[in-house]
Amino acid sequence: MAGEQKEMPELKQLVREASEALARLDAERLEELAQCCKALNRNWNQELREDKSSTPEQAELARQVREASGEFVIFTRVLQATRANLDVMRRLRAMREEQLEY
Amino acid sequence: MGTISTAFSIISGALDADQAALSIVSGNVANANTNGYTEERATFQENSPVTINGQTYGDGVTETGATSVRDRVLEERIDQQQQMASDSSARLGVLNTMQTLFTPDSGSSSSTGGDIGTDITNFFDAFSTLEGSPTSNADRQAVLSDGKILAGDISNAANALTEQQSAVDQEASSVAGQVNSLTSAIAQLNQQIQSTSPNSDAGTLEDQRQYDLNQLSQLIGINQITTEDNGLTITTTSGQVLVAGNQSVQLTTGKVNGLTHFFVGNTDITSQLEGGGGELGGYLTARDSDIPTAMSALDNLAYTISTSVNTQNSAGTDLDGNAGADIFAAPTQVGGSAQAMSVVMTDPNGIAAAASGAAANSGDNSNAVLLAGIASQASTQLNGLPPNSYYSDMVTALGSTITEVQTENTAQTASVTQLTTQRNSLSQVNLNDEAASLTNLERSYQAAGQFFTIMNAVMASAINLGDQTAVS
Repeated sequence: MAGEQKEMPELKQLVREASEALARLDAERLEELAQCCKALNRNWNQELREDKSSTPEQAELARQVREASGEFVIFTRVLQATRANLDVMRRLRAMREEQLEY
Repeated sequence: MGTISTAFSIISGALDADQAALSIVSGNVANANTNGYTEERATFQENSPVTINGQTYGDGVTETGATSVRDRVLEERIDQQQQMASDSSARLGVLNTMQTLFTPDSGSSSSTGGDIGTDITNFFDAFSTLEGSPTSNADRQAVLSDGKILAGDISNAANALTEQQSAVDQEASSVAGQVNSLTSAIAQLNQQIQSTSPNSDAGTLEDQRQYDLNQLSQLIGINQITTEDNGLTITTTSGQVLVAGNQSVQLTTGKVNGLTHFFVGNTDITSQLEGGGGELGGYLTARDSDIPTAMSALDNLAYTISTSVNTQNSAGTDLDGNAGADIFAAPTQVGGSAQAMSVVMTDPNGIAAAASGAAANSGDNSNAVLLAGIASQASTQLNGLPPNSYYSDMVTALGSTITEVQTENTAQTASVTQLTTQRNSLSQVNLNDEAASLTNLERSYQAAGQFFTIMNAVMASAINLGDQTAVS
């Protein structure tokens, strides 16, 4: 289990890649990253449950999260911008539909 | 952390609210094969996009009114995002250059501003060394040498900031000419469009106008108001009219206190343009806010060190038995202290290491102790901090600003990329492509939302872990 975890990418790499994928609207990659993140979270939770005194794992998770926090802020901002862009595209779609209802 | 948690809570709420909207849109997209859509498809298929300077526009398309309206809304959104991205990009460029003034290469003092933090430490450490040998000529000389390095580095940094402000001012000034060329061109296009196609799409003329608007958006923050006869009114984000129909209003410049100010008519709109978008907004924020903030901090630092050291030196007795004289040039006011900072004492015997009233060559070190103590003395002028902490805070604040602007710029650039992708897909003017494009946008958003939710949970649990780790 510990060996598998070492091979996992750093959290900040995952988040950075997610921002890039969102910028280029690569839905497939984003879905993969979400799955990857889910698995990562599950592994961490399991390890922490198995050994509550395992401070090296806790420290490692805390370190990765600290290092990833800046990237996560960027991702959040890109997500906010995406939401606004999606609103615009929906409005355009609605306008288009209104024009076609004749 | 406040900024991070605020941003997270905003997007968390937005994601919740979006679930319902996503379902509705899924239904809309599913209706893409209705008769109305099918009939209209033919109209939209005869496309031959034209590329102008790397940007694709829907030239050659027989557009309906719907297409025209659609494109304009999307283009406005792109322009708006482009303005913000250009603003932060211009500001970021200046901030990064500023940072190099205060970031020496590792292990050296090769930046323009040297290593002011180390200089401050070395200077006051030299007084500490003098405590142990108050009559030593070498140790006295070391105080003056370290003082010269400190004064020189602060002065160099201040001069470099002034030069940078001047360079940014020139950049900002040059933008005005480009803005005027574009607004004139847009006014001319307005006239042509209004006379040839007042009620329908004007094809290449509209494309050209849109291209000019894209260019203008990179330079300055603007609002676009579409008029009934297919015309366009353009104002600055603060509402000053730049183009109305076939008339353009020139942006003029003039010097105020040595810096370029921008006018519409007789109205000075400089402060309104600051941070208002486009390169101009970014340059003005850097010129009128970021650089003056750093300069003010350096002035405070130089003024406090110079006056504190001079005052303490004058309270003691030098090696010749005289009252201590000024070590630094005495500043008359805070403003300009950094640029003017210099060591005026030439004779190391002039350092008043001994207490007031001591005899010549007494070997007394009590005033040297007090001089060294200035290093840890909190100062009102320095926000209640000692000199080195104040300087450290200044550099940290600059770094935080850069990180914040970089984050904004990355997000804005990503947004422009997304929108450009959408525009390019819409320019194909194929309804199926259009629906697929919107679906992909929604799918990406949903997947990103899932990613956010999981990561947010990981972050929340790890923040608690971090606390526990810190406590243990």
